[in-house]
Amino acid sequence: MIKTVNLTKKYNDVTVLNIEQIDISKGQSFGLVGNNGAGKTTYFSLLLDLIQPSSGFIENNGVLVHESEDWKPFTSSFIDESFLIGYLTAEEYFYFIGDLRHQSRADVDELLSQFEDFFNGEILKQKKYLRDLSKGNQKKAGIVAALIGNPEVIILDEPFANLDPTTQIRLKQIVKDLAQTKGVTVLISSHDLLHVTDVCERIVVLEKGEVIKDLKTSPATLKELEVHFSGMASTETMADKE
Amino acid sequence: MIKRFLSFEWKQFSRSSYFKKGIAIKIVMALAVLYFAGMALLFGGALYFILKKALPTIDPMTTVNSYLLYWFLFDFMLRYFMQQLPVMNIKPLMNIPVKRNTVIYYLLGKTSLSFFNILPLFIVVPFTTVLLFQGYPIIQVLVWLVGFVVITLSINFLNFLVNKNNVVFYVVLALVAVLGVLEYYAIYKISEPVGYAFNYMYAHPYLVVLPILVLVGLFKATFQFIKKGFYLDDAISKKVKEVSSNDLSWLNRFGAVAPFLKNDIKLIVRNVRPRQVMMMSFMFLFYGLVFYTQETYREMPAILAFASMFITGGFLMTFGQHVPSWDSEYYKLLMSQNIPYKTYLESKWYLMVVAVLFSFILSTPYIYFGWDIFGMIAAGAVFNIGLNSFLTLFGGALNRVPIELNVKTKAFSNTNGFNPTQLLIGLPKFLLPMLIFYVPYKLISFNAGLIALALVGVLGIALKPYIFNLIEGVYQKGKYNTIAAFSEKQ
Repeated sequence: MIKTVNLTKKYNDVTVLNIEQIDISKGQSFGLVGNNGAGKTTYFSLLLDLIQPSSGFIENNGVLVHESEDWKPFTSSFIDESFLIGYLTAEEYFYFIGDLRHQSRADVDELLSQFEDFFNGEILKQKKYLRDLSKGNQKKAGIVAALIGNPEVIILDEPFANLDPTTQIRLKQIVKDLAQTKGVTVLISSHDLLHVTDVCERIVVLEKGEVIKDLKTSPATLKELEVHFSGMASTETMADKE
Repeated sequence: MIKRFLSFEWKQFSRSSYFKKGIAIKIVMALAVLYFAGMALLFGGALYFILKKALPTIDPMTTVNSYLLYWFLFDFMLRYFMQQLPVMNIKPLMNIPVKRNTVIYYLLGKTSLSFFNILPLFIVVPFTTVLLFQGYPIIQVLVWLVGFVVITLSINFLNFLVNKNNVVFYVVLALVAVLGVLEYYAIYKISEPVGYAFNYMYAHPYLVVLPILVLVGLFKATFQFIKKGFYLDDAISKKVKEVSSNDLSWLNRFGAVAPFLKNDIKLIVRNVRPRQVMMMSFMFLFYGLVFYTQETYREMPAILAFASMFITGGFLMTFGQHVPSWDSEYYKLLMSQNIPYKTYLESKWYLMVVAVLFSFILSTPYIYFGWDIFGMIAAGAVFNIGLNSFLTLFGGALNRVPIELNVKTKAFSNTNGFNPTQLLIGLPKFLLPMLIFYVPYKLISFNAGLIALALVGVLGIALKPYIFNLIEGVYQKGKYNTIAAFSEKQ
């Protein structure tokens, strides 16, 4: 579904991302982990054509992302709060996205009704603008908006951050559901190793812009990731001591 | 501690975004500031002589005193709309061990150094200097100056109190309106007793104690007000009002453009900054009153063409020049959504066209000045729709300054949207209509000028699809730069 080939991104000769090859198949739930500055958000921004690659390309369902806009109808995303329109209420925002994705009001309402649990009564009919909602509730609205219009690819950057524990658990269920039963390709990034291993069939570890691990999730994966990241912590402290 | 605050302040100023611009812009801006400062100084210096010449029988000081009320009212209005109050900046200071009183004193001290308090000095100081040279009594003049500054500062603090309370503002506004009407029809001239009071104070310098007492009172009130609200959930926080959502479904007839139009209308109604711009554009409607009432301009139809352009083009120019910037807060969303650039731009265009038509309807009272003038406004409207709208959108493609929607503009920070390219694009908006009108007017007749102006507009409308392709290309080319610029935090 998504092919990444020889993709690099440089800022003033500093390479922040360098991916030789990643192929993500349709219906795969794909997790991206890495410390701050590893290149996760850069990769997602490239996937959405928000920045230009220095070399290489990404092909989304056969469409070259940086050349054509035809990937937009079947791709949706929620990266950060700048994907929300602050002066709209949640409903207005959902209908707006619905309009853009050619969904009628009824379609949107139907979809929203499936997420009543997830919203926990804090999003709809609040008579508040999105900018006045808490960070967590903004995130909930953004994530659900990304599900409007039956996208085939969904990209979520740090979806678990700022959510309360109950919502995190519900979100995991939603993501699993999308990938396993609806065949949606889901890409998420996270700092929480437990959540990614729970949700994703495949986990890629980025470090300083490069892929250093590409794992098919198994019961041993969490342990392996923990060992990897605590290893990094101890090598760093050792380097500091020297 | 105060010293450290001052150094923060200096850093905030010297590291702010508008100093990070190219050298050319810095020079232009410096020149502009010098120009305005110079004009103010010159005006202040000349004021005495102007008044002396215009009303030789009356002491200029008396004349100034009798109009002082209007100045203060104007000052107050301007502050209400433009002055930013630094209340929000308290937040990071709340959890560090500094005495509350210190923070508040500092805060209030800071507002008294605001641009709005400094600017009047540029006029008043040269005026008083001239008075002294003219042999006016030193003590009286100096005390008058002190009184002026004290009242200005009082307005500064009054604004602090009023700004958090719309009711007070509307009461003041209503009062001003009523007094203004009474004054205009010479039923009751409020400026007379107030002028008399100022004169009396000028004659009896010790009375300056009164405004000083008022100032002290207002300072105390503001101090208490802030102190009481020194909690996260009080004055410092934004008030979250209940909002009603409105689906504006009657706009659906615009088809693909409709979702954007609905958004734009909500954008204007629900955010401070666009509302400010909206008000400003409304003021443009009165532009004609300045030009049409003066005989000198009557003889210069090219200047009138220029004025007519402004009457219907206020919204187009003030709102339009920030076109992609209005959506800067969520530009990434728009760019990754299923949206053709063209539809997005088209919705902005429709908005501007509707605004021009609306202003045109509102401008019908100008028929009072004759059909020639009204014809000119009509031709100007067509020109605005057919050409200026495109020029504005085109200029927008080069404007990459993000806008914080729900924050008032700071005085002088609207230079944010200012760059040389913008200026170059802006020039034809005024010069072109003057030229297009003037040449046929000179060669053939007044009406020929109007027809030429309107024809150019019609031509623009006819070529719209072609022009839109061009504009879209420019936006498309700048896409990544625009996204990058918009995601930079101010």
